[in-house]
Amino acid sequence: MNDLINDLYQEIILDHGREPRNFGECDPHNKSADGHNPLCGDNLKLTFFLNDQNIIEDIKFTGEGCAISLASASLMTEKLKGKKIEVAEEIFKDFTNLVSGADEDLKVLNEEDSLYALKGVGGFPMRVKCATMAWHAFNQALKD
Amino acid sequence: MSKRTVKMDDTKTLNLNVRKDFPILSKKILEKKDLIYFDTAASAQKPNIVINETNDFYKNHYSNVSRGVHTLSVESTFRYEEARKKVQKFLNARSENEIIFTKSATEGINLVAQTFYEKFMQKGDEVILSLIEHHSNLIPWFFLRDKYGVVLKFANIQPSGEIDIDHFDSLFTNKTKIVSLTHLSNVFGTELNEKLISICKDKNVPILLDGCQSAAHLKIDVQKLGCDFFVFSGHKTYGPAGIGVLYGTEDLLSEMPPYQGGGGMIGDVSLEGASYAELPAKYEAGTPPLVEAHGLGIAIDYMNKIGLDNIIEHENEITKYAFNKLNEIDFIEIHGGDNKRNSIISFNIKNIHSHEVSSFLDVEGIAIRAGHHCCQPLMKHLGVNSTARLSLGVYNSLEEVDKFVIALHKCKEFFNK
Repeated sequence: MNDLINDLYQEIILDHGREPRNFGECDPHNKSADGHNPLCGDNLKLTFFLNDQNIIEDIKFTGEGCAISLASASLMTEKLKGKKIEVAEEIFKDFTNLVSGADEDLKVLNEEDSLYALKGVGGFPMRVKCATMAWHAFNQALKD
Repeated sequence: MSKRTVKMDDTKTLNLNVRKDFPILSKKILEKKDLIYFDTAASAQKPNIVINETNDFYKNHYSNVSRGVHTLSVESTFRYEEARKKVQKFLNARSENEIIFTKSATEGINLVAQTFYEKFMQKGDEVILSLIEHHSNLIPWFFLRDKYGVVLKFANIQPSGEIDIDHFDSLFTNKTKIVSLTHLSNVFGTELNEKLISICKDKNVPILLDGCQSAAHLKIDVQKLGCDFFVFSGHKTYGPAGIGVLYGTEDLLSEMPPYQGGGGMIGDVSLEGASYAELPAKYEAGTPPLVEAHGLGIAIDYMNKIGLDNIIEHENEITKYAFNKLNEIDFIEIHGGDNKRNSIISFNIKNIHSHEVSSFLDVEGIAIRAGHHCCQPLMKHLGVNSTARLSLGVYNSLEEVDKFVIALHKCKEFFNK
Protein backbone atom coordinates (compact mmCIF):
# COMPACT_ATOMS: atom_id res chain seq x y z
CA MET A 1 0.00 0.00 0.00
CA ASN A 2 1.14 3.49 -0.77
CA ASP A 3 3.06 5.27 2.00
CA LEU A 4 1.20 8.52 1.49
CA ILE A 5 -2.11 6.81 2.13
CA ASN A 6 -0.75 4.95 5.14
CA ASP A 7 0.63 8.22 6.55
CA LEU A 8 -2.69 9.97 5.98
CA TYR A 9 -4.83 7.22 7.41
CA GLN A 10 -2.95 6.00 10.45
CA GLU A 11 -4.82 3.57 12.65
CA ILE A 12 -5.64 6.24 15.23
CA ILE A 13 -7.21 8.43 12.52
CA LEU A 14 -9.37 5.60 11.22
CA ASP A 15 -10.36 4.73 14.77
CA HIS A 16 -11.36 8.29 15.73
CA GLY A 17 -13.01 8.74 12.32
CA ARG A 18 -15.20 5.68 12.93
CA GLU A 19 -15.86 6.37 16.57
CA PRO A 20 -15.35 10.02 17.39
CA ARG A 21 -14.81 10.77 21.10
CA ASN A 22 -16.62 13.62 22.89
CA PHE A 23 -19.36 13.52 20.27
CA GLY A 24 -22.37 15.51 21.43
CA GLU A 25 -23.17 18.87 22.95
CA CYS A 26 -21.81 20.23 26.24
CA ASP A 27 -24.47 20.95 28.83
CA PRO A 28 -23.94 23.57 30.07
CA HIS A 29 -21.69 25.44 27.67
CA ASN A 30 -20.70 29.08 27.38
CA LYS A 31 -18.77 28.94 24.12
CA SER A 32 -19.80 27.58 20.74
CA ALA A 33 -19.09 27.93 17.06
CA ASP A 34 -19.95 26.24 13.79
CA GLY A 35 -17.31 24.93 11.45
CA HIS A 36 -18.06 24.56 7.77
CA ASN A 37 -16.05 23.52 4.76
CA PRO A 38 -17.79 25.18 1.82
CA LEU A 39 -15.76 23.13 -0.65
CA CYS A 40 -17.37 19.86 0.37
CA GLY A 41 -20.28 20.63 2.69
CA ASP A 42 -18.75 19.03 5.77
CA ASN A 43 -19.81 20.79 8.96
CA LEU A 44 -19.62 20.60 12.73
CA LYS A 45 -20.86 22.36 15.83
CA LEU A 46 -18.40 22.80 18.66
CA THR A 47 -19.44 23.59 22.23
CA PHE A 48 -17.32 23.98 25.37
CA PHE A 49 -17.47 25.22 28.91
CA LEU A 50 -14.80 27.67 29.98
CA ASN A 51 -14.68 28.00 33.77
CA ASP A 52 -13.72 31.07 35.80
CA GLN A 53 -10.08 29.99 35.86
CA ASN A 54 -10.08 30.02 32.04
CA ILE A 55 -9.84 26.27 31.89
CA ILE A 56 -11.75 24.29 29.26
CA GLU A 57 -13.73 22.11 31.61
CA ASP A 58 -15.65 20.21 28.95
CA ILE A 59 -15.64 20.24 25.16
CA LYS A 60 -17.73 18.34 22.62
CA PHE A 61 -18.69 18.41 18.97
CA THR A 62 -21.33 17.11 16.61
CA GLY A 63 -21.36 17.12 12.85
CA GLU A 64 -20.76 15.17 9.71
CA GLY A 65 -17.66 14.83 7.66
CA CYS A 66 -14.86 12.71 6.34
CA ALA A 67 -12.58 10.58 8.52
CA ILE A 68 -9.96 13.32 8.61
CA SER A 69 -12.34 16.04 9.80
CA LEU A 70 -14.04 13.80 12.35
CA ALA A 71 -10.77 12.38 13.70
CA SER A 72 -9.24 15.83 13.90
CA ALA A 73 -12.23 17.16 15.85
CA SER A 74 -12.22 14.12 18.12
CA LEU A 75 -8.48 14.33 18.84
CA MET A 76 -8.77 18.07 19.39
CA THR A 77 -11.42 17.68 22.07
CA GLU A 78 -9.30 15.05 23.84
CA LYS A 79 -6.27 17.32 23.73
CA LEU A 80 -7.98 20.52 24.82
CA LYS A 81 -10.11 19.20 27.64
CA GLY A 82 -8.70 20.50 30.93
CA LYS A 83 -6.28 22.91 29.28
CA LYS A 84 -5.93 26.59 30.14
CA ILE A 85 -7.00 28.81 27.30
CA GLU A 86 -3.49 30.24 26.78
CA VAL A 87 -2.12 26.73 26.32
CA ALA A 88 -4.97 25.80 24.00
CA GLU A 89 -4.16 28.75 21.80
CA GLU A 90 -0.53 27.62 21.56
CA ILE A 91 -1.69 24.14 20.60
CA PHE A 92 -3.94 25.66 17.92
CA LYS A 93 -0.97 27.50 16.40
CA ASP A 94 1.23 24.42 16.52
CA PHE A 95 -1.44 22.24 14.97
CA THR A 96 -2.06 24.52 12.00
CA ASN A 97 1.70 24.60 11.41
CA LEU A 98 1.94 20.83 11.72
CA VAL A 99 -0.67 20.04 9.07
CA SER A 100 0.57 22.68 6.65
CA GLY A 101 4.08 21.26 6.71
CA ALA A 102 5.63 24.02 8.87
CA ASP A 103 6.48 21.68 11.75
CA GLU A 104 10.13 22.70 12.39
CA ASP A 105 9.55 24.91 15.40
CA LEU A 106 6.53 23.62 17.24
CA LYS A 107 6.28 25.00 20.77
CA VAL A 108 4.01 22.64 22.64
CA LEU A 109 3.28 19.66 20.40
CA ASN A 110 5.74 16.82 19.89
CA GLU A 111 5.87 13.45 18.19
CA GLU A 112 4.41 11.75 21.25
CA ASP A 113 1.15 13.64 20.82
CA SER A 114 -1.75 11.84 19.21
CA LEU A 115 -2.37 14.98 17.18
CA TYR A 116 0.89 14.25 15.41
CA ALA A 117 -0.94 11.49 13.54
CA LEU A 118 -2.49 14.22 11.39
CA LYS A 119 0.87 15.32 10.01
CA GLY A 120 0.26 13.09 6.95
CA VAL A 121 -2.43 15.54 5.80
CA GLY A 122 0.45 17.71 4.60
CA GLY A 123 0.88 15.25 1.70
CA PHE A 124 -2.65 16.11 0.51
CA PRO A 125 -2.90 19.91 0.38
CA MET A 126 -6.58 19.79 -0.55
CA ARG A 127 -7.31 17.93 2.68
CA VAL A 128 -5.72 20.47 5.05
CA LYS A 129 -9.08 22.23 5.36
CA CYS A 130 -10.64 18.95 6.54
CA ALA A 131 -8.10 18.71 9.35
CA THR A 132 -8.36 22.34 10.44
CA MET A 133 -12.14 22.80 10.33
CA ALA A 134 -12.70 21.95 14.02
CA TRP A 135 -9.71 24.04 15.08
CA HIS A 136 -10.93 27.09 13.23
CA ALA A 137 -14.30 26.65 14.91
CA PHE A 138 -12.49 26.57 18.26
CA ASN A 139 -10.57 29.72 17.40
CA GLN A 140 -13.78 31.40 16.25
CA ALA A 141 -15.55 30.50 19.51
CA LEU A 142 -12.78 32.17 21.50
CA LYS A 143 -13.17 35.38 19.51
CA ASP A 144 -16.97 35.56 19.79
CA MET B 1 -29.47 -4.23 -3.67
CA SER B 2 -31.34 -5.42 -6.75
CA LYS B 3 -29.27 -5.95 -9.85
CA ARG B 4 -30.04 -3.40 -12.49
CA THR B 5 -28.59 -2.35 -15.79
CA VAL B 6 -28.70 1.04 -17.33
CA LYS B 7 -31.23 1.45 -20.14
CA MET B 8 -29.04 2.54 -23.00
CA ASP B 9 -28.88 1.67 -26.67
CA ASP B 10 -26.36 -0.85 -27.92
CA THR B 11 -23.08 0.80 -28.65
CA LYS B 12 -19.93 -0.30 -30.34
CA THR B 13 -16.47 0.26 -28.96
CA LEU B 14 -14.74 3.00 -30.86
CA ASN B 15 -11.04 3.42 -30.54
CA LEU B 16 -10.77 7.15 -30.98
CA ASN B 17 -7.05 6.98 -30.25
CA VAL B 18 -6.92 10.58 -29.05
CA ARG B 19 -5.08 10.16 -25.75
CA LYS B 20 -1.85 11.18 -27.48
CA ASP B 21 -3.44 14.54 -28.32
CA PHE B 22 -3.53 15.50 -24.64
CA PRO B 23 -0.03 16.14 -23.25
CA ILE B 24 -1.14 16.19 -19.60
CA LEU B 25 -2.31 12.58 -19.88
CA SER B 26 1.30 11.39 -20.09
CA LYS B 27 1.98 12.92 -16.67
CA LYS B 28 2.80 10.37 -13.96
CA ILE B 29 0.95 10.88 -10.70
CA LEU B 30 3.29 10.64 -7.70
CA GLU B 31 6.03 9.88 -10.24
CA LYS B 32 4.82 6.44 -11.21
CA LYS B 33 1.09 6.08 -11.75
CA ASP B 34 -0.50 6.61 -15.15
CA LEU B 35 -3.07 9.37 -14.95
CA ILE B 36 -6.69 8.29 -15.32
CA TYR B 37 -8.66 11.49 -15.63
CA PHE B 38 -12.27 10.96 -14.61
CA ASP B 39 -13.08 14.57 -13.76
CA THR B 40 -13.99 16.07 -17.11
CA ALA B 41 -17.32 17.35 -15.76
CA ALA B 42 -15.31 19.67 -13.49
CA SER B 43 -13.02 20.69 -16.32
CA ALA B 44 -11.82 18.99 -19.48
CA GLN B 45 -8.16 18.56 -20.37
CA LYS B 46 -6.77 20.44 -23.34
CA PRO B 47 -5.53 18.97 -26.61
CA ASN B 48 -2.18 20.09 -28.03
CA ILE B 49 -3.84 22.00 -30.81
CA VAL B 50 -5.66 24.28 -28.35
CA ILE B 51 -2.48 24.84 -26.34
CA ASN B 52 -0.39 25.52 -29.44
CA GLU B 53 -2.92 27.74 -31.14
CA THR B 54 -3.40 29.96 -28.09
CA ASN B 55 0.39 30.25 -27.81
CA ASP B 56 0.57 31.15 -31.47
CA PHE B 57 -2.05 33.86 -30.98
CA TYR B 58 0.10 35.55 -28.33
CA LYS B 59 3.31 35.06 -30.31
CA ASN B 60 2.17 36.15 -33.73
CA HIS B 61 -1.21 37.86 -33.85
CA TYR B 62 -2.03 39.47 -30.52
CA SER B 63 -3.57 42.91 -30.09
CA ASN B 64 -6.88 44.22 -28.83
CA VAL B 65 -9.97 43.44 -30.87
CA SER B 66 -12.43 45.68 -32.71
CA ARG B 67 -10.52 48.84 -31.83
CA GLY B 68 -7.47 49.63 -33.90
CA VAL B 69 -6.94 49.63 -37.62
CA HIS B 70 -3.41 48.22 -37.67
CA THR B 71 -2.43 44.77 -38.89
CA LEU B 72 -2.38 43.02 -35.51
CA SER B 73 -5.75 44.45 -34.56
CA VAL B 74 -7.15 43.06 -37.79
CA GLU B 75 -5.60 39.64 -37.16
CA SER B 76 -6.90 39.48 -33.58
CA THR B 77 -10.36 40.66 -34.54
CA PHE B 78 -10.50 38.13 -37.36
CA ARG B 79 -9.69 35.26 -34.99
CA TYR B 80 -12.14 36.47 -32.35
CA GLU B 81 -14.99 36.75 -34.84
CA GLU B 82 -14.09 33.44 -36.51
CA ALA B 83 -14.51 31.84 -33.08
CA ARG B 84 -17.97 33.36 -32.84
CA LYS B 85 -18.90 31.83 -36.20
CA LYS B 86 -17.66 28.43 -35.04
CA VAL B 87 -19.76 28.68 -31.86
CA GLN B 88 -22.77 29.75 -33.91
CA LYS B 89 -22.45 26.61 -36.06
CA PHE B 90 -21.69 24.44 -33.00
CA LEU B 91 -25.02 25.49 -31.43
CA ASN B 92 -26.83 25.94 -34.75
CA ALA B 93 -27.87 29.48 -33.80
CA ARG B 94 -29.57 31.55 -36.49
CA SER B 95 -27.09 34.38 -36.38
CA GLU B 96 -23.71 35.39 -34.96
CA ASN B 97 -25.58 38.19 -33.20
CA GLU B 98 -27.03 35.56 -30.90
CA ILE B 99 -23.61 34.48 -29.62
CA ILE B 100 -22.29 36.55 -26.71
CA PHE B 101 -18.85 35.81 -25.33
CA THR B 102 -18.66 35.96 -21.54
CA LYS B 103 -15.98 34.97 -19.08
CA SER B 104 -17.91 31.89 -17.98
CA ALA B 105 -21.26 30.15 -18.19
CA THR B 106 -21.91 31.57 -14.72
CA GLU B 107 -21.52 35.08 -16.06
CA GLY B 108 -23.99 34.22 -18.81
CA ILE B 109 -26.65 33.21 -16.28
CA ASN B 110 -26.00 36.30 -14.16
CA LEU B 111 -26.28 38.44 -17.29
CA VAL B 112 -29.65 36.96 -18.19
CA ALA B 113 -31.00 37.11 -14.63
CA GLN B 114 -30.10 40.77 -14.20
CA THR B 115 -31.03 42.15 -17.60
CA PHE B 116 -34.13 40.00 -18.12
CA TYR B 117 -35.39 41.16 -14.74
CA GLU B 118 -34.71 44.79 -15.60
CA LYS B 119 -36.70 44.61 -18.82
CA PHE B 120 -39.45 42.13 -18.13
CA MET B 121 -40.01 41.61 -14.40
CA GLN B 122 -41.13 43.26 -11.22
CA LYS B 123 -41.61 42.43 -7.56
CA GLY B 124 -43.74 39.32 -7.05
CA ASP B 125 -42.99 37.84 -10.49
CA GLU B 126 -41.90 34.21 -10.53
CA VAL B 127 -38.96 32.16 -11.78
CA ILE B 128 -39.05 28.35 -12.04
CA LEU B 129 -35.88 26.40 -11.26
CA SER B 130 -35.37 22.83 -10.07
CA LEU B 131 -33.83 20.88 -7.24
CA ILE B 132 -30.99 19.56 -9.40
CA GLU B 133 -29.54 22.92 -10.38
CA HIS B 134 -25.89 23.78 -9.93
CA HIS B 135 -25.30 26.70 -7.55
CA SER B 136 -24.47 28.81 -10.61
CA ASN B 137 -28.07 28.38 -11.77
CA LEU B 138 -29.45 29.13 -8.30
CA ILE B 139 -27.54 32.04 -6.80
CA PRO B 140 -28.02 34.52 -9.68
CA TRP B 141 -31.78 34.00 -9.19
CA PHE B 142 -31.43 34.19 -5.37
CA PHE B 143 -30.05 37.69 -5.99
CA LEU B 144 -33.33 38.62 -7.71
CA ARG B 145 -35.31 37.20 -4.80
CA ASP B 146 -33.22 39.03 -2.20
CA LYS B 147 -32.89 42.35 -4.00
CA TYR B 148 -36.20 42.71 -5.80
CA GLY B 149 -38.71 40.36 -4.18
CA VAL B 150 -38.88 37.92 -7.08
CA VAL B 151 -40.47 34.56 -6.12
CA LEU B 152 -38.52 31.38 -6.89
CA LYS B 153 -40.20 28.01 -7.36
CA PHE B 154 -38.36 24.72 -7.50
CA ALA B 155 -39.46 21.67 -9.46
CA ASN B 156 -39.13 18.37 -7.60
CA ILE B 157 -37.22 15.42 -8.93
CA GLN B 158 -38.22 11.78 -9.27
CA PRO B 159 -36.11 8.96 -7.81
CA SER B 160 -34.55 8.61 -11.27
CA GLY B 161 -33.01 12.05 -10.80
CA GLU B 162 -35.18 13.56 -13.52
CA ILE B 163 -37.44 16.54 -13.05
CA ASP B 164 -41.02 15.63 -12.15
CA ILE B 165 -42.93 16.89 -15.18
CA ASP B 166 -46.34 17.13 -13.50
CA HIS B 167 -44.93 19.06 -10.58
CA PHE B 168 -43.02 21.33 -12.94
CA ASP B 169 -46.20 21.98 -14.93
CA SER B 170 -48.12 22.79 -11.74
CA LEU B 171 -45.70 25.56 -10.77
CA PHE B 172 -46.70 27.92 -13.58
CA THR B 173 -48.91 30.91 -12.84
CA ASN B 174 -49.62 34.07 -14.77
CA LYS B 175 -46.69 35.60 -12.89
CA THR B 176 -44.14 33.07 -14.20
CA LYS B 177 -41.71 35.08 -16.30
CA ILE B 178 -38.77 32.77 -16.96
CA VAL B 179 -37.60 29.18 -16.42
CA SER B 180 -33.96 28.14 -15.97
CA LEU B 181 -32.92 24.47 -15.94
CA THR B 182 -29.86 22.33 -16.42
CA HIS B 183 -29.67 20.62 -19.79
CA LEU B 184 -27.60 17.74 -18.41
CA SER B 185 -27.37 17.12 -14.66
CA ASN B 186 -23.81 17.42 -13.36
CA VAL B 187 -24.68 14.91 -10.62
CA PHE B 188 -26.80 12.28 -12.42
CA GLY B 189 -25.70 12.73 -16.02
CA THR B 190 -29.33 12.64 -17.10
CA GLU B 191 -30.60 14.79 -19.93
CA LEU B 192 -33.45 17.27 -19.62
CA ASN B 193 -36.72 15.86 -20.91
CA GLU B 194 -37.62 18.01 -23.90
CA LYS B 195 -41.27 17.94 -22.81
CA LEU B 196 -40.26 20.53 -20.21
CA ILE B 197 -39.24 22.91 -22.99
CA SER B 198 -42.54 22.25 -24.80
CA ILE B 199 -44.44 23.16 -21.65
CA CYS B 200 -42.59 26.49 -21.51
CA LYS B 201 -43.32 27.09 -25.20
CA ASP B 202 -47.01 26.32 -24.70
CA LYS B 203 -47.16 28.82 -21.88
CA ASN B 204 -45.05 31.34 -23.74
CA VAL B 205 -42.46 31.54 -20.98
CA PRO B 206 -38.80 31.85 -22.02
CA ILE B 207 -36.44 29.08 -20.89
CA LEU B 208 -32.71 29.18 -20.24
CA LEU B 209 -30.76 25.94 -20.50
CA ASP B 210 -27.54 25.52 -18.54
CA GLY B 211 -25.50 23.55 -21.05
CA CYS B 212 -22.25 23.28 -19.11
CA GLN B 213 -22.38 19.50 -19.04
CA SER B 214 -24.12 18.93 -22.34
CA ALA B 215 -22.09 21.06 -24.73
CA ALA B 216 -19.32 18.53 -25.45
CA HIS B 217 -21.39 15.43 -24.71
CA LEU B 218 -24.63 15.92 -26.67
CA LYS B 219 -25.33 17.41 -30.07
CA ILE B 220 -26.70 20.88 -29.45
CA ASP B 221 -29.18 22.50 -31.77
CA VAL B 222 -30.69 25.51 -30.04
CA GLN B 223 -33.29 25.97 -32.77
CA LYS B 224 -34.47 22.40 -32.54
CA LEU B 225 -34.41 22.50 -28.75
CA GLY B 226 -36.43 25.68 -28.84
CA CYS B 227 -34.70 27.22 -25.86
CA ASP B 228 -34.49 31.00 -25.56
CA PHE B 229 -31.11 31.08 -23.83
CA PHE B 230 -28.30 28.54 -23.63
CA VAL B 231 -25.02 28.91 -21.75
CA PHE B 232 -21.86 26.82 -21.72
CA SER B 233 -18.23 27.21 -20.75
CA GLY B 234 -15.07 26.85 -22.82
CA HIS B 235 -13.10 24.93 -20.23
CA LYS B 236 -15.54 22.01 -20.12
CA THR B 237 -15.45 21.68 -23.91
CA TYR B 238 -11.66 21.17 -24.23
CA GLY B 239 -11.06 24.91 -24.61
CA PRO B 240 -9.44 27.41 -22.23
CA ALA B 241 -10.88 28.58 -18.92
CA GLY B 242 -12.00 32.21 -18.83
CA ILE B 243 -14.36 32.00 -21.81
CA GLY B 244 -18.05 31.26 -21.73
CA VAL B 245 -20.86 31.52 -24.23
CA LEU B 246 -24.34 32.92 -23.89
CA TYR B 247 -26.74 32.15 -26.71
CA GLY B 248 -29.93 34.17 -26.70
CA THR B 249 -32.58 34.76 -29.32
CA GLU B 250 -32.02 38.01 -31.15
CA ASP B 251 -35.48 39.22 -30.11
CA LEU B 252 -34.81 38.88 -26.40
CA LEU B 253 -31.19 40.05 -26.51
CA SER B 254 -32.27 43.13 -28.46
CA GLU B 255 -34.92 44.03 -25.93
CA MET B 256 -32.91 43.41 -22.78
CA PRO B 257 -30.62 46.24 -21.59
CA PRO B 258 -26.81 45.99 -21.53
CA TYR B 259 -25.29 44.11 -18.58
CA GLN B 260 -22.03 45.96 -17.91
CA GLY B 261 -20.93 49.30 -19.22
CA GLY B 262 -17.53 49.96 -20.72
CA GLY B 263 -15.49 50.07 -23.87
CA GLY B 264 -16.63 48.14 -26.88
CA MET B 265 -20.34 48.16 -26.02
CA ILE B 266 -21.14 51.74 -26.97
CA GLY B 267 -22.54 53.40 -30.06
CA ASP B 268 -21.79 57.01 -29.28
CA VAL B 269 -20.81 58.66 -25.99
CA SER B 270 -21.07 62.25 -24.81
CA LEU B 271 -20.91 63.48 -21.23
CA GLU B 272 -24.69 63.60 -21.23
CA GLY B 273 -25.18 59.94 -22.13
CA ALA B 274 -24.49 57.09 -24.50
CA SER B 275 -26.10 54.93 -27.09
CA TYR B 276 -25.25 51.27 -27.17
CA ALA B 277 -23.70 49.04 -29.75
CA GLU B 278 -25.68 46.51 -31.77
CA LEU B 279 -25.57 42.82 -30.92
CA PRO B 280 -23.39 41.07 -29.97
CA ALA B 281 -21.04 43.90 -28.88
CA LYS B 282 -23.81 45.39 -26.68
CA TYR B 283 -23.14 42.68 -24.08
CA GLU B 284 -19.36 42.57 -24.39
CA ALA B 285 -18.11 45.53 -22.36
CA GLY B 286 -14.37 45.75 -21.89
CA THR B 287 -11.60 43.83 -23.59
CA PRO B 288 -13.00 40.33 -24.00
CA PRO B 289 -11.15 37.05 -23.37
CA LEU B 290 -10.12 37.10 -27.00
CA VAL B 291 -7.36 34.49 -26.97
CA GLU B 292 -9.59 32.18 -24.95
CA ALA B 293 -12.40 32.68 -27.47
CA HIS B 294 -10.01 31.66 -30.22
CA GLY B 295 -8.96 28.64 -28.14
CA LEU B 296 -12.61 27.65 -27.78
CA GLY B 297 -13.04 27.91 -31.55
CA ILE B 298 -10.05 25.59 -32.00
CA ALA B 299 -11.51 23.16 -29.44
CA ILE B 300 -14.74 23.10 -31.46
CA ASP B 301 -12.70 22.37 -34.61
CA TYR B 302 -11.01 19.56 -32.70
CA MET B 303 -14.31 17.99 -31.63
CA ASN B 304 -15.69 18.34 -35.15
CA LYS B 305 -12.62 16.64 -36.60
CA ILE B 306 -13.17 13.58 -34.40
CA GLY B 307 -16.89 13.90 -34.99
CA LEU B 308 -19.30 14.72 -32.21
CA ASP B 309 -21.30 11.58 -33.03
CA ASN B 310 -18.18 9.48 -32.50
CA ILE B 311 -17.39 11.25 -29.24
CA ILE B 312 -20.93 10.70 -27.98
CA GLU B 313 -20.95 7.03 -28.96
CA HIS B 314 -17.55 6.49 -27.37
CA GLU B 315 -18.63 8.12 -24.11
CA ASN B 316 -21.95 6.29 -24.07
CA GLU B 317 -20.14 2.98 -24.42
CA ILE B 318 -17.87 3.72 -21.46
CA THR B 319 -20.70 5.17 -19.39
CA LYS B 320 -22.77 2.05 -19.90
CA TYR B 321 -19.82 -0.21 -19.13
CA ALA B 322 -18.93 1.74 -15.97
CA PHE B 323 -22.53 1.87 -14.76
CA ASN B 324 -22.99 -1.88 -15.12
CA LYS B 325 -19.61 -2.62 -13.50
CA LEU B 326 -20.29 -0.32 -10.54
CA ASN B 327 -23.77 -1.71 -10.22
CA GLU B 328 -22.42 -5.24 -9.72
CA ILE B 329 -20.53 -4.11 -6.62
CA ASP B 330 -22.65 -4.52 -3.52
CA PHE B 331 -20.88 -1.84 -1.46
CA ILE B 332 -21.52 0.84 -4.07
CA GLU B 333 -24.63 2.97 -4.27
CA ILE B 334 -25.20 4.75 -7.58
CA HIS B 335 -27.32 7.91 -7.36
CA GLY B 336 -30.17 8.31 -9.81
CA GLY B 337 -32.08 5.80 -11.87
CA ASP B 338 -31.36 3.39 -14.70
CA ASN B 339 -32.32 5.71 -17.52
CA LYS B 340 -29.80 6.74 -20.11
CA ARG B 341 -27.10 8.96 -18.75
CA ASN B 342 -24.27 10.79 -20.42
CA SER B 343 -20.70 10.55 -19.20
CA ILE B 344 -21.48 11.15 -15.50
CA ILE B 345 -22.05 8.70 -12.62
CA SER B 346 -22.29 9.79 -8.99
CA PHE B 347 -21.91 7.18 -6.30
CA ASN B 348 -20.98 6.48 -2.71
CA ILE B 349 -19.12 3.60 -1.15
CA LYS B 350 -21.19 2.59 1.84
CA ASN B 351 -19.80 4.01 5.09
CA ILE B 352 -16.82 5.67 3.42
CA HIS B 353 -16.84 9.42 2.88
CA SER B 354 -16.22 10.52 -0.71
CA HIS B 355 -13.12 12.44 0.40
CA GLU B 356 -11.52 9.21 1.52
CA VAL B 357 -12.41 7.57 -1.79
CA SER B 358 -10.96 10.45 -3.77
CA SER B 359 -7.71 10.67 -1.76
CA PHE B 360 -7.27 6.91 -2.03
CA LEU B 361 -7.87 6.91 -5.78
CA ASP B 362 -5.56 9.89 -6.17
CA VAL B 363 -2.52 7.92 -5.10
CA GLU B 364 -3.60 5.26 -7.61
CA GLY B 365 -3.42 7.95 -10.30
CA ILE B 366 -7.18 8.31 -10.65
CA ALA B 367 -8.75 11.77 -10.55
CA ILE B 368 -12.43 11.87 -9.57
CA ARG B 369 -14.53 14.58 -7.98
CA ALA B 370 -15.64 14.30 -4.38
CA GLY B 371 -17.95 16.72 -2.63
CA HIS B 372 -21.32 18.36 -3.11
CA HIS B 373 -20.71 19.24 -6.80
CA CYS B 374 -22.05 22.74 -6.16
CA CYS B 375 -25.48 21.15 -5.65
CA GLN B 376 -26.05 21.40 -1.91
CA PRO B 377 -29.87 21.49 -2.11
CA LEU B 378 -29.75 18.27 -4.15
CA MET B 379 -27.31 16.62 -1.73
CA LYS B 380 -29.74 17.41 1.09
CA HIS B 381 -32.53 15.82 -0.92
CA LEU B 382 -30.43 12.69 -1.52
CA GLY B 383 -29.65 12.55 2.20
CA VAL B 384 -25.89 12.63 1.70
CA ASN B 385 -23.45 15.44 2.32
CA SER B 386 -21.20 14.50 -0.54
CA THR B 387 -20.80 11.99 -3.34
CA ALA B 388 -17.97 10.70 -5.48
CA ARG B 389 -18.36 11.36 -9.18
CA LEU B 390 -16.89 9.72 -12.22
CA SER B 391 -17.11 11.82 -15.37
CA LEU B 392 -15.80 11.01 -18.81
CA GLY B 393 -14.24 12.71 -21.76
CA VAL B 394 -13.12 11.86 -25.24
CA TYR B 395 -9.78 10.49 -23.96
CA ASN B 396 -11.12 7.83 -21.56
CA SER B 397 -11.26 4.08 -22.18
CA LEU B 398 -12.88 0.86 -20.98
CA GLU B 399 -9.50 -0.29 -19.60
CA GLU B 400 -9.45 2.75 -17.33
CA VAL B 401 -12.82 1.73 -15.94
CA ASP B 402 -11.41 -1.72 -15.14
CA LYS B 403 -8.49 -0.16 -13.24
CA PHE B 404 -10.90 2.15 -11.47
CA VAL B 405 -13.06 -0.77 -10.32
CA ILE B 406 -10.00 -2.62 -8.96
CA ALA B 407 -8.96 0.53 -7.10
CA LEU B 408 -12.44 0.85 -5.56
CA HIS B 409 -12.18 -2.69 -4.19
CA LYS B 410 -8.76 -1.87 -2.72
CA CYS B 411 -10.21 1.29 -1.21
CA LYS B 412 -13.05 -0.60 0.45
CA GLU B 413 -10.61 -3.16 1.80
CA PHE B 414 -8.28 -0.47 3.17
CA PHE B 415 -10.93 1.41 5.10
CA ASN B 416 -12.56 -1.73 6.41
CA LYS B 417 -9.35 -3.29 7.67
